Amino acid sequence: MVGILTTPPLKPVTMASAPALSATGLVKNFGDKRAVDGVDIFVPTGSIYGVLGPNGAGKTTTLRMLLGIIDPDSGTRELLGSNRPRSVGDNVGYLPEERGLYPGMKAKDAIAFMGALRGLDWKTGRARGEELLEQNGLGDAASDKIRKLSKGMAQLVQLLGSIVHRPDLIVLDEPFSGLDPVNQGRLEELILAERERGATVLFSTHVMAHAERMCDRLAIIVGGKRRYEGSVDEARAMLPMQAHYAPREDGEAVAALLPRDAVRDEDGYRFDVPDGGMEALLAKLLDRGHGIAALSLERPSLHDVFVSVVGEDAVARMEAGAEDEE
Amino acid sequence: MKRFLRQAAVIARRDFLATVLTPAFLMFLLAPLFMLVFATVGGMGARSIADSGDDAQRMVAIADADYAARIEAADTRLRPLFPAQIGPPALELRSSQADQDVQARALFEDESIDVSAVLYDPPESPRILYSPEAASSADYLAVLAEQAARAARLDSEPLVTTQREAIERTGSTIGGRQATGFTALFVLFLLTLLLAGQTVSMLAEEKGNKVIEILAAAVPLEAVFVGKLFGLFGVALLFVGFWGGLAGGGVALLPPNDAAFSTLDPAIGFGPFILLAIVYFAMGYLLLGAVFLGVGAQASSMREIQMLSLPITFFQMAMFGLASAAAASPGSTLASIAELFPFSSPFAMAAKGASDPRLWPHLAAIAWQILWVSITVAIAARAFRKGVLKSGPSVLERIGSAFRFGRAAD
Repeated sequence: MVGILTTPPLKPVTMASAPALSATGLVKNFGDKRAVDGVDIFVPTGSIYGVLGPNGAGKTTTLRMLLGIIDPDSGTRELLGSNRPRSVGDNVGYLPEERGLYPGMKAKDAIAFMGALRGLDWKTGRARGEELLEQNGLGDAASDKIRKLSKGMAQLVQLLGSIVHRPDLIVLDEPFSGLDPVNQGRLEELILAERERGATVLFSTHVMAHAERMCDRLAIIVGGKRRYEGSVDEARAMLPMQAHYAPREDGEAVAALLPRDAVRDEDGYRFDVPDGGMEALLAKLLDRGHGIAALSLERPSLHDVFVSVVGEDAVARMEAGAEDEE
Repeated sequence: MKRFLRQAAVIARRDFLATVLTPAFLMFLLAPLFMLVFATVGGMGARSIADSGDDAQRMVAIADADYAARIEAADTRLRPLFPAQIGPPALELRSSQADQDVQARALFEDESIDVSAVLYDPPESPRILYSPEAASSADYLAVLAEQAARAARLDSEPLVTTQREAIERTGSTIGGRQATGFTALFVLFLLTLLLAGQTVSMLAEEKGNKVIEILAAAVPLEAVFVGKLFGLFGVALLFVGFWGGLAGGGVALLPPNDAAFSTLDPAIGFGPFILLAIVYFAMGYLLLGAVFLGVGAQASSMREIQMLSLPITFFQMAMFGLASAAAASPGSTLASIAELFPFSSPFAMAAKGASDPRLWPHLAAIAWQILWVSITVAIAARAFRKGVLKSGPSVLERIGSAFRFGRAAD
């Protein structure tokens, strides 16, 4: 049976909320290589927070430091009010980037085991495990061993294991990686439901669409440094609006009237909306008789912002990597 | 502490059940049975070959009827003095021919008989021929000739008649106590050799299937290590309990023989000694297991783990050797070293229980060993965190950095 979860409305989250997680000046070196270089993060309680960045940007290392799996070489961190992250581990759920379960365990036992590690008793863990599996369309697989499940199913089991103890903070490292679109949708619903329950969710991804749809705030990390921190809207506001204009009467004279950054596409031109707005430009175009066959103004997407922050080459490499993964 | 123990218990429970609830565990549990069967079959075969060889051997006495009767009588009296397995070859009597020397030498060429020694010539001046590897047969024949000559002179009458009375010893002997100590030491060593060495590959599963990241994120690595140690310790206890129960049942079925046990009575008492042996088995297992777990955790592949098994076995043998030397000379400086050195201490102290009636050294030793289990686990977890999880530079990297710094300074 497939459970249906309704998507709750996004709750406004402000920086004034007490942080579920914060870090200042995190630095981590592996040998001569600096993996994380002075990253600051502030995750408001009850928010969904995304950590974006290309492969090798330092996202996973940052998350591992925040959780206390590894210690930073310098910098401070505070998790759920404690500067010793391990001491509040029972209130944290974590899905690592490298998925791992004991192949000989039954699905419900694997969930109960992960809960037991975080202080949940086995009996409750098993009962909740069965319930969660049922809700997420894996009820029939509750007693199947992990080795019998598909990769996507096993990943979902692991995700359920990371939330079975109903933690206050959920940290998911590349949770959408390796999932088919159906399961990606399920995962989005699950994350939103957990936020609705009151949990804070922090996840890393290099898929902009998920972050754009779900995140209250996000950070973009490139080369171990934090390049951006803020809400999705604030990120999109960093770039000017994009205009797409198609004239009725085209010709070289049109291009001369448009801003310098205008780029020709199939049926018109694409350019940034000028600082002074579109009115003066449109008036000029109409006066010269070029007319308006089509005109649209678009806010830049998170992907555009990401490209501008990370660079097109890095994005191309990242997208090629994502395709290989699929 | 409660949280730590709870987390360790979760790991231990998982490891215990994952090990025990598999068909492979049945093979593991019954492995000694296979060993016993093979050893018995092999032993019987070897014994049979040895016996057939022994059965074919003969000592020959060439003598006339009267002399032969006295030799046979002497053999009948002396042969029971030897344990059945090491008695002299069977004696064969042959009547003499014209030339006894030729007759005797011919016997060594005779393929129908495997002669070890031949007695011939008159009783007053007997001669013995023997093959070089059967000098003991020659000695025995010489004694028979001597006894036959005495019997001829005294007309077969014994010189004295001895009154004999059997007395059962009620106290332990020095040799018995040492034997008890060494037996305990050997059993503990054998068990730890069989069981503690398995800990070396315990983290390989988690590293292979990436579960280590989940464990490391959820619980302290020290709890992971302690949980894994106790998980396999539970398996070891099950193994020891199973075979110990069978052995105990077997001993209970034997006819009572108090005398045999009285000589083995350990100085500290049998009950406390058994209890101490169990505790020292636990400590020995945990100490060596923690070392092997820590070393194995650094390995990145099964091949590396296999390579580590040799130095690990050498380490165990070294601890056994040290503790054995201590058991052989209780109270010596070497014994004190073995009792104090953490990784030989459980074995040496188990042996000490057989020869020293005091209890307090054992309590102190157990506390000392628990401390070292904690230290070893802490060091192993730290090394894992640095070396495998890359949380900070490893010891080797620190040494490397210092070396580079030194060269740069040059």
